[in-house]
Amino acid sequence: MNNAEKIRFDAIVVGAGLAGSAAAMVLAREGLNVALVERGQKPGGKNYFGGAIYTHAIAEVLPDFMERRPPFERPVTEAGFWFLAEDGLTRATVQGGKLDVEPADAYITLRADFDPWWAEQAQDVGAFLIPKTTVVDFIRDPAGQVIGVQTDRPQGDIYAPVVIICEGVNNLLTQKLGLIDHDLEPSHVALAFKQVISLPAETINARFGLPDNDHGLAVSVLGDVSLGLPGMGFVYTNKKSVSVGLGMMLDKLAEYRLRPYDILQRYLEHPAIAPLVKDGQLLEYGGHLIPEGGYRDMPQLYTGGAMVAGDAASMVNALHWEGTNMAIIAGKLAAETAIDAHERGDFSAQTLSAYESRLREGFILKDLKQYRNFAKFLETHPEFMDVYPDFLNDALGQFFSAYGKPKRELFQNIFGALTHRRPLFRAVGDMISMTRSVMGL
Amino acid sequence: MGMKYGDAFEAKELPQDLKESLPDVYVDDLLMTLKYFIDEEKAHLWIKDHDVCERCEDKPCLTFCPVGVYKLGHDGRIQVAHQSCVECGSCRVGCPYRNIGWELPRGGFGVAYKFG
Repeated sequence: MNNAEKIRFDAIVVGAGLAGSAAAMVLAREGLNVALVERGQKPGGKNYFGGAIYTHAIAEVLPDFMERRPPFERPVTEAGFWFLAEDGLTRATVQGGKLDVEPADAYITLRADFDPWWAEQAQDVGAFLIPKTTVVDFIRDPAGQVIGVQTDRPQGDIYAPVVIICEGVNNLLTQKLGLIDHDLEPSHVALAFKQVISLPAETINARFGLPDNDHGLAVSVLGDVSLGLPGMGFVYTNKKSVSVGLGMMLDKLAEYRLRPYDILQRYLEHPAIAPLVKDGQLLEYGGHLIPEGGYRDMPQLYTGGAMVAGDAASMVNALHWEGTNMAIIAGKLAAETAIDAHERGDFSAQTLSAYESRLREGFILKDLKQYRNFAKFLETHPEFMDVYPDFLNDALGQFFSAYGKPKRELFQNIFGALTHRRPLFRAVGDMISMTRSVMGL
Repeated sequence: MGMKYGDAFEAKELPQDLKESLPDVYVDDLLMTLKYFIDEEKAHLWIKDHDVCERCEDKPCLTFCPVGVYKLGHDGRIQVAHQSCVECGSCRVGCPYRNIGWELPRGGFGVAYKFG
């Protein structure tokens, strides 16, 4: 094939998810010819999350996003933690205040709706979406620099001087490029699985204490939900359905030979959860991996002719439910780096290293570095998954019961409820190590 | 490093009361809610070496796969129902012996989430 017949673009983006479409949007807006290659029938078909999307990130790429009618389910107007004991539930959520603004800080969304819209915003400014196409390898020049991708289509080679890899958690292309020398570790990934359960909007509002359809709840659920193993449940209210699921570390699921769907069913049958989803109809069940290794699992983020963004680069802050925002911002920063490279006509690793510098200036690498020990902390402190949620329910239950006894006894009982679960010096130690892991000390 | 897992894998047991609190869900009831474009010509999942599975005592793939792709056949061999796969990657990562071949389905095939 001679040069004239080759399919050429100014840039290729692999994967039309949150990072990929953000990158394509920024590139196309600068007038660059962008191929956005997506393996699904359409964007979003392979994507899966809790979940909510943060507007600060959307606005950085698309300031007028609200006028473009994004397919949001509900704004997050109440957020927090639910602590589930075997027979009780303690809720620690916040509502109003900073959450009660327009546009909201975060919107609950369904990815099969959101991702096609997000990709359309890139197509609107000229990005060329190539769906139903799986990228299987790279094309490299004799010096090893990436100059394109091989797809599974006949004569499916596509050439471009820069490729932005937004392939998601199963980062096989990133591995193939040698940017990381090993596959994911089972102890560093959470398997998340959920049910989307249909309920009338009024029923959702009544059961979750939401005044109307423009209010939504997003909570993490700790305790009985994960059988005392590292893991976290979640509940999100969509418009006319609720998403209930949980994420558990894959190594624990394997070692204990647990069936994810059994654990989810047990959670849905919990006396505090069952009434919330009663008479609901199951719309969809599914599962997805979350890369929770954070900073320690990050691949090298660039090489000659290529950069990596989003889940493929382990950009997830598990404690704060952040990942979608990091993906969007990283996609944008990779695109800006590619634009600079085009201006210089130089796509070497040295030029593309500016991508990492941009990430370091922002919050992504700062946060991931700070939280680098948090995942490890949860591995070594399973008591946060059972002992403390259980204690909290017990303590509050006692606090708000009238026993007809002196209150001094009540506080002694509550104190005893903690210390028989966990010796006090251990409890203090737990709090210190949690603080250290979150502060990055 | 990556390959330590196989030897380090250690089967564990939940306390009996927790174990008994788990319901026994029929996963096919859940799969009915999923939409797939099935590739009839190419399997994107496969067992690399059945002898390795035979020597694997615990066979955790039979349980941790969220959609029950892996089943034990009458002949004692692992069967792979790749048609139900949601492409999460758990089997590739979670197999203690890294004995599961895993590729992305060809473009357009595989799971197509309606809600996600």
